[in-house]
Parts: sequence; structure tokens; C-alpha cells
Amino acid sequence: MNPAAPSVRTEPPPRRPAGPAARPGTPPRDRRARYRRTARLAFLVPAGLYVLFAFVVPVIYNLILSFEVTTPATIASLFAPWAGLSNYKITLLQSITQSALIRTLTFTVLSLLFQFLIGFGLALLFNLRFPLNKLARSLVIVPWLLPFLVTGFIFRFLFQLEAGAVNQVLLDVHLIHAPIGYLLSPGWAYVTVLITNIWLGVPFFTVLLFSALQDVPPELKEAAMIDGAGPWQTLVRVTLPVIRPVIEVTFVLGFVFTVKVFDIVISLTQGGPANSTQLIATWAYNLSFQQFDYGAGAALNTVLLIIALLVAPVYIRLNRDSLRQG
Amino acid sequence: MGRQRKFTPWLAGITALVALAILLFPVYAVIVGSFENNAQLLGTHYNFFPPTPTLANYRNVISTQGSHILSSLIIGVATAILTLAIALPAAHALARYRFRVTVAVVASLLVAQILPSIVIANSLFVVYHKLHLLNSYPGLILADASYAVPFSILVLRAFMLGLPNDVLQAARVDGATEWGTFVRVVLPMSRSAIITVALFAFLNGWGDFIFALTLLNGSTLQPITLSIYNYIGVFSQNLGAAMALAVFAILPAAMMLIAAQRYIAAGLTVGSVKG
Repeated sequence: MNPAAPSVRTEPPPRRPAGPAARPGTPPRDRRARYRRTARLAFLVPAGLYVLFAFVVPVIYNLILSFEVTTPATIASLFAPWAGLSNYKITLLQSITQSALIRTLTFTVLSLLFQFLIGFGLALLFNLRFPLNKLARSLVIVPWLLPFLVTGFIFRFLFQLEAGAVNQVLLDVHLIHAPIGYLLSPGWAYVTVLITNIWLGVPFFTVLLFSALQDVPPELKEAAMIDGAGPWQTLVRVTLPVIRPVIEVTFVLGFVFTVKVFDIVISLTQGGPANSTQLIATWAYNLSFQQFDYGAGAALNTVLLIIALLVAPVYIRLNRDSLRQG
Repeated sequence: MGRQRKFTPWLAGITALVALAILLFPVYAVIVGSFENNAQLLGTHYNFFPPTPTLANYRNVISTQGSHILSSLIIGVATAILTLAIALPAAHALARYRFRVTVAVVASLLVAQILPSIVIANSLFVVYHKLHLLNSYPGLILADASYAVPFSILVLRAFMLGLPNDVLQAARVDGATEWGTFVRVVLPMSRSAIITVALFAFLNGWGDFIFALTLLNGSTLQPITLSIYNYIGVFSQNLGAAMALAVFAILPAAMMLIAAQRYIAAGLTVGSVKG
């Protein structure tokens, strides 16, 4: 997945740690070596501190919060009374939490499925020669670059009951006879959030799969054609196996993006109507910041964290080349 | 075969045109909407063209949202600067030197990329409350950089691994310090990767909503994502102004696509770019 980054390092391995030899009175070469090692490590200090601040501390603190009895009042103190597993028990037994968990699962599966089908279709299309191909490819990125909140806002406008473009078009072509209240009924609201998420993720799939298709050696496809394989067989037997690693990376990253979807739900439906579009992230936000039960929110966040981290081993394995270069 | 060769490009071109029309329609709709008044936006049917184009929404936004647009700009630029300040030295060290911890550091960056922002926001809210960082630029910018830092280190490192080693060796032979080599040799050679990373870090700060929603109360400091969200709460009252503000919100992405397209494409192909 990383661009060609050939291993050009011919540098000798680092010297052994200077250790006891680096005391005063030792040859200046050793002192210089030790100074050099310190200077090299110093490059990592800002990033190390930042990772502690923005990732390690919040994750650990979230874990602590999830085991505490929290009220708006306990926010004033960094630590609150121990709650044992009660936050987890109470939160996970709530029916809203349980449906949010299942909904996040179906939402993720359906999003990835359609993003892949549409994205791969577009990638195959862009792999053909046609006029203005390059311009079309750059425009296709647009949905991915917009702030997610703005995307949700625009789709809310497009899917509104009256004066909404979607109802207008469907009425004009006589597919429906009365406008549909997409954001007013639970089922339609879920479909609307799903369509919005598919829309913003298609460019990501298209771009990654297109660049993978470009890397498939034409000789392979020609050889298959000569052996009598049709376009479909060439696609399934040659192209798909060759680009499989990229497909895997795309799905892993797509999974990571989708399980934490937040902005578009808040701007489209705020989780409603009647909590019918709550996903794990939005329900955790609701618990913490609208019901002020930070412990419950943290417990659900821990669940979200575990779900997101399920793909970590796969993601690391897919990046093993970049790890090895270190 | 000959007929098919002539036919295919046109069919493909038309299919691409239809697909693009669907993909870009929401952007078209928000631009058209920004020139309509509230009665038209909330009337009984959708307008594909503004019936009576008006600039009133833009006048409204410029007079009431100017300071919020400025806030978003400050947050975006500062997020890009902070991200580069953290990521560049780290990427250089991880690409050039061999540490025993390199594999562990790169693996932990991959994991950091996966962490959901809402988890970070929930904890940071309580921590910031203690540190008095709520409702402040520094607090928000530190949080926003979490979208971009892991991605940036990984992208810059991958790029720096490809730099020709003999140039760096030559600098060392000439007696350059580690820092001198980094500043005078590595940074200029990494220009294109730096631009890619800076653009995405800017977009992350500019488009952030989760941290703005949780770490600000909207009274002292309000980026435009929060403004648009507030408009949604009173949807029917001023949809036109919200449309114009949304057009402002998508301007940076549009400008980058025109002016810096290859950097954007590069960033996308390397993988995860949005939190």
C-alpha cells in the first residue's frame, strides 16, 4: 500500500551502546557516538509525547472512567468512586445500546458491500480509455474531501419531505406517487444515513482500486485472453487475485472508518427518530454529553474500541513490508 | 472488433458522465441552494436552478459568520503546522536510523490510526476540564492533530525511505550535524510529501466536528462546522444562510482539487487520510 519505497539503506548498523566506556576520560569518539545516539532519539521525542497525550492517556483514562460512578459533579475531580462492572452491565443491557450495536454491524457490512461494488465498478470504468478520463478521475474524489458534517447537512436538505431533490426526482419519473418522509420514519432514516455514508466512501474505494488495477501487468491479462478466457474470467481469475492485497487494505480501512461514523448521523438525524439511527459512536456521545453519564459513555466507548481494534492485527500484517524496512 | 473499439470509449465516457453527475449532484445542489431564499428552499418543490438568484445569503454569512470562518482557518492552519512539527522529525528518524523500537513505534502508529475519535474526545473532555483547555484554540488544535499525526508520520516515512542515501551520506561526510542534515537536505527533498500531508492535516482541522462539538461550548470559539450544526437545530429559520456557509466550508477542498490535485491524489492512494 505504501508507494514504492525501495530499501536503499546502506548505512552500517548502529554502534553498540557506549555504556560504561562513555565516562569522562574516554576517547572523544565514544562520547560523540553517544551524543549522536541521543540526538537521533531526540527526533522521536515530540511524536512520543504527542502519542502519549492524544492516544495512550485517553485510552487508559477512558478505561478508568468506565469503571467509575460518574455524575456531572464528579467531572470536577479527576477520579470518582469505583463502580466495578456496573457501567458495562447497565449500558449493555439497555435495548437502545443493543440495537445500536447490531445496527452498527449491519450498517458497516452494507456500507462496505455497496462502496466496494460501486467503487470497483467505477475503477474498472476508469481503467478503460475514454475522453476526459483524467478529469473525471479527479472529480470523483470530491465527496471524500468534504467535511463529513457538511455532507450530512446537504443530504438532509436533499432528502427533506417537500422541496427535497430526491422526492422531486422520484415523483417526476413516477416512481412514487406521494413524497416520502425519509427522515421521519425509522426505516427510511436508516436507509438515508446508509446512502449518505456510501456516497462519501465510494471515492476512497474507487481511487485505491483504480491504482491497483493500473498495476496489474497487461501481459497477464493478454496471456489469459490468448488462453481463451473471456473478459469475465480474466477479471475473476487474473485481475482479482492480483489486486487482492489492495482490496484487503481497502476493506480494513473502510471498516475502521465505518464503525466510528458519527458526523453524518448527528447532522442528518441526531440518532432519531426515536433512536432508530443511533450507532455505537453516536449513542456513546449521547450517554456522555447529553445524559452526562460519562462512565456509561466510556463503557460503550471501550466496546467500540475493542470492535475497531479487531482489525488491528490484519492491518499491521498488511503493512508488514513497511514494518520490515525499519 | 473495430466497431467495438470505436464504440467502447463513448459508452464508457457516457457512463462516467452519469456516475459523476450523481456523485457531484449534492455539491451542485448546495451551490444552487445558496442563491435561493428560505421560501424557495422550504417550498413545495425542489428547484434545479435558483428561480430568483440572490446574494442575500452570502451577505448574511459574511456579516454574521466572518469570525467563525476565521476561527476555522486558524484551526486548519495550526493543525497543519503542529502536525508537521511533530511528524517530520519522527518520520526522518524512523526512516533513517535503526532503533530497536522502530517496529514497535510503526505498529503503534498503525493502531493509533484505528482509534475512534469519539473515544479520545470523551476522555479529553474530562482531562481538559482539569487542565482548563476547554473552549480554547490550543486544546482544540492539539485534539485535531490526532486525525493527522499517525497518518503523516507513516506517509512521510515511506517517502523518506525512498530518498537517495548517497546524498545523505555526503552531507554527513561534509560534517553536517544530524539536525543540519534533516533541515538542509531531507526537508527540501521531501517537499511534495510535506505538501500532501499539510493539505490533509489542514482539511482535518478545517472539517473537524467531533472535537469542536465536545471540547467547545460554542460561546467563545466556534468553527463553521459547529455553526452549520447550530443552523440545523433551527433548520427552518435560516436554511439559506446555512447553505451559503456550507459553500464556504467546501471551498478549501475545491481549491485544493484545482490547485494541488496531484498532492491530493497522492495522499489518497497511500491510504487512510481521514479520521
